[in-house]
Amino acid sequence: MSENQFDYVKPKFLNEALDIISKSVNPFILAGGTDLIDMIKEGIVQPDMVVDLKGIEQFNQITFKNDILTIGAGVTFSQLIVSKVIKDNFPIIAELSRTVASVGIRNRATMIGNICSAVPCMDSGPLLTSYEAMIILAGPKGERKVSAENWFINSRKTAIEKGEIVTGISIPYPGKHAGCFVKLGRYEGEDLAQVNLVILALSDGNFRVSFGSVAPVPVRAKKIENLINGKTISHTLIEDAFNIIEEEIKPITDIRASKEYRMHMAKIMFERGLNAALSRLNGAGPEYGISVI
Amino acid sequence: MEESKYVGKSTVRIDGKAKISGAAKFIEDIDFGADLLYAEVVESKFAHAIINSIDTSEAEKFPGVVKVVTGKEFPYRFGLYMHDRYIFAQDRVRFVGEQIAAVIARTPAAARKAAKLVKVDYTELPNVLNVEDALKKDTFLLHPELGNYQHVPWFFPKPDTNISHLRKVRKGDAEKAFKEADFVFEDTYTVPRYAHCAIEVHGTIGLFDNSERLTVWTASQSPYTQRHLFAEALSPLGLTHKDVRVITPFVGGGFGGKAGVSMEIIGAALATTVKGRPVKVLWSRAQEFYNTYQRQGLTCRIKVGVNKDGKIIAMDNTLYWDAGAYVEYGANVVNAAGLSASGPYNIPNVKIDSYCVYTNLPPGGPYRGFGYSEFLFGLESHMNEIAKNINIDPVQFRRINAIREGDILNYGGKMNPNGLIEAIDKVAEAIDWGKKEYSDDPNKAIGKGIALFWKAPAMPPNASSSAFLKFNEDASLNIMISGMEIGQGLLTVMAQIAAEVLSVPPEKIRVETPDTDRNPYEWQTVASHVTWGCGRAVERAAIDAREQIFDLIERALGKERSSLYLQDECVKSKKDIEFSLPLKDFIINGIMKEDGTYRGGPIIGRGMFMPEFSSALSDPETSQGGKPNVHYTVGASAIKIEIDRQTGKMTIPKAVLAIDVGRALNPNLIKGQITGGLLQGIATVLYEDMRYSDKGKLLNASFSDYKIPTAMDIPAEVVSIIIETPQPDGPSGARGMGEHTMIPAAPMIANAVEDALGIRIKSMPVTAEKIALSMINENIKADIINS
Repeated sequence: MSENQFDYVKPKFLNEALDIISKSVNPFILAGGTDLIDMIKEGIVQPDMVVDLKGIEQFNQITFKNDILTIGAGVTFSQLIVSKVIKDNFPIIAELSRTVASVGIRNRATMIGNICSAVPCMDSGPLLTSYEAMIILAGPKGERKVSAENWFINSRKTAIEKGEIVTGISIPYPGKHAGCFVKLGRYEGEDLAQVNLVILALSDGNFRVSFGSVAPVPVRAKKIENLINGKTISHTLIEDAFNIIEEEIKPITDIRASKEYRMHMAKIMFERGLNAALSRLNGAGPEYGISVI
Repeated sequence: MEESKYVGKSTVRIDGKAKISGAAKFIEDIDFGADLLYAEVVESKFAHAIINSIDTSEAEKFPGVVKVVTGKEFPYRFGLYMHDRYIFAQDRVRFVGEQIAAVIARTPAAARKAAKLVKVDYTELPNVLNVEDALKKDTFLLHPELGNYQHVPWFFPKPDTNISHLRKVRKGDAEKAFKEADFVFEDTYTVPRYAHCAIEVHGTIGLFDNSERLTVWTASQSPYTQRHLFAEALSPLGLTHKDVRVITPFVGGGFGGKAGVSMEIIGAALATTVKGRPVKVLWSRAQEFYNTYQRQGLTCRIKVGVNKDGKIIAMDNTLYWDAGAYVEYGANVVNAAGLSASGPYNIPNVKIDSYCVYTNLPPGGPYRGFGYSEFLFGLESHMNEIAKNINIDPVQFRRINAIREGDILNYGGKMNPNGLIEAIDKVAEAIDWGKKEYSDDPNKAIGKGIALFWKAPAMPPNASSSAFLKFNEDASLNIMISGMEIGQGLLTVMAQIAAEVLSVPPEKIRVETPDTDRNPYEWQTVASHVTWGCGRAVERAAIDAREQIFDLIERALGKERSSLYLQDECVKSKKDIEFSLPLKDFIINGIMKEDGTYRGGPIIGRGMFMPEFSSALSDPETSQGGKPNVHYTVGASAIKIEIDRQTGKMTIPKAVLAIDVGRALNPNLIKGQITGGLLQGIATVLYEDMRYSDKGKLLNASFSDYKIPTAMDIPAEVVSIIIETPQPDGPSGARGMGEHTMIPAAPMIANAVEDALGIRIKSMPVTAEKIALSMINENIKADIINS
């Protein structure tokens, strides 16, 4: 149905893909295509070449070696939901993946595509900043890695450079830990987050907290982490954290929610997410996948 | 109640197999071959502007383009109840997205690309985007020609204003009664615009063949009304009704959005410009939102006078409808709501003013509920507030004031038989009314809400239905009607009605979707009237066939006519127990006499129904005099919700709806309507609304930001309660019930929120966000009071 014509290739090897990209004027990478196809249809982007990564076999793998989880560029959210490695070691990734769009979309859409589109309401952003993940890129100059913290530059803008392809994400295992992903939507069906939040409770008493959809890029809330790290969570501490949330995030009003509601909900989500993560760390709390809001 | 064999049973849908197997054809399934052309519409960028010129030259040169058509080719006004719109904009556009021109091309892509090359030169005019602006003294007139528009006699436009119709009701003396009332309560409630969101978008294919007959395939609820409007609008081309044929296959959801004529006129008109080749117009999902009918927005100012004993003695309800750029259909929503805006209450003194106001937003029009959902939000919210203020239980307050059979209606007639009190009592019982419930979760509050509803079909007094019924050799039947199967189960119920009269089981009856060349007249499938109206026509067609059968038996076999009856597909006689003649033995080929000659021939029944007792003529200042409504269907609904005090999020453990359907012709189909209607209503109050920019552009023309519920959002339990107080003029006593199941949803949820949290939300939708922010404000207020 598109009015734009473009060439389409589905290479089997990374080098082949890099080569095609280097020779094209305005190439676009297709992983799941769930964002790209819409953008082409609506004329937002006009590629002359679409390079489909789904043919590159190594990209379809999830591996966990030497305490590093690697998610390939072709791995779909549905794969993340059913992966045993993830269920056993990073259950919050499955919890998050279950809230992304709908079953049909999750069967195509990839986490790497999600962070390359880098819209502010993406679900994967806060996850990767919390886990201090590295984004792995291949390009004309070879491989390089960018931290999640430095990956997101602005709304829809990442640290990717011309000619590069994201081949995967590596997530270091932070030792025994628990987490909670909280997402605010307008109903129980699939929705784009109005606020989302990842909280990790580590076994050394420290926390990682990242918000999404409340600023152009994910917000790793280090001031909050510093406030609560090593402390017993009390009502006063939560109240203090609320004050810091007001400083750390800058939600906007748009058609999906007002900034007042987003700010209010960020606090509620933080409090409930923190409690859930802590309980889970102690082997209790709500099962992964059950929303705390 | 008479013993019946087929009516009243939950017969399985006769169209079920076709739909489940994929055999059922929808408009997009029909193959028009390689000659098919595609049209893309050029749309207005502005909400209000003068068109200075249209340059189509670049578009015409684009490869694959066959023709570019503008308003110049069709300078004709048309409309259902008021001729206030054009096929393509003429010198002025009145909403963002309005069709200005169309490009016809050999492929959809060529049509789309070329449409972008059509250059329109505009001069912007001041936008009138809401009712308040539209009614200002120095406002800009959207339709300076309003005084010249042709319209039905029951509309009262106010030339030189933006008021395209004003329905006034005056019963008793409201002014005097307010002075006498112990209490007077006044408030304002607002309802935004809504979209139907049928899963199937609008589509139409027109073919003007070389003999100059026009065939139009449409996804529609109204094939005959469409044929009439096409013939009327295109009559300057020499077309007459017999030259126009409308074929309507199965429809993937209507909800009022596919009633009347909206985009279909474009396909019909364009076809006449490319003789011999079919041309297709298919709306995108975005166009489905901004260029079909929308449910109109409403601001409702309500004042009620009540005595200490809880008896309402006066009501003043002023309704301001944001009706959009064209009101050819929407003004009748305003009219219908105006006549009934007192709700199902017996109030001696009533004043209603219902204003139909032009604005530079997309045209308003029919949507399930036809205005009743909108005014009931304010009315039924207000009823709860009054009950609370005078310290009467909301259920008791409604029992005191509920309308009963014989009570005088707003326009002077008498209320039909109904089981409203029974409905109130049954829903109250089912929801455990009066029993306060508490959640296990300290963050959550549980609330219960109730709302009553009523609705009458809004139809012209002479809206008719007709039916043909023909027997086949094996005594199976084909019934031809033009009532539309839009998911409600019409085909099945029509088969049940014929089955009951003719003793032929429904599974031996096929009922067709309409083709106006073959199937007889039906006004429209709207107003929850087809079971009632079309059902009467089918019943009469069946009786007509039965009488022909008895005539034949008497004539050919000498049996006494009055002793004959039908049973198990046989003719039997009360006087001759041995006599049993299977229909299949004679129904086509007749009965052989001893000399080898035959009597009889194919039996074909015909039936027609027009409500001859109805009249839309009344005093324009009071609405007294006529009988505009054929009957009211009433009921009550109640809900239990659980709300998270912090997030405002709601879940629905239980919803109950009781409706007096007169007679449940097919209880399972009624339960389907109750579940679906409630869910549609709940969606309008919890999630949906249309948002516009300050330039009049619709901001959420997609399901990303216009949310309709998924399977995860349905109430945990829906209790359907069917009440049967027969409608004397209905088929087997049935009356309409399809729209009614959604209309109490909004106020009952608002009432449940108030019950749970003490917060009254007076504007729809009642979202989690609105509740949470109201709670914060309440807490701030409480803090100020405490400090």
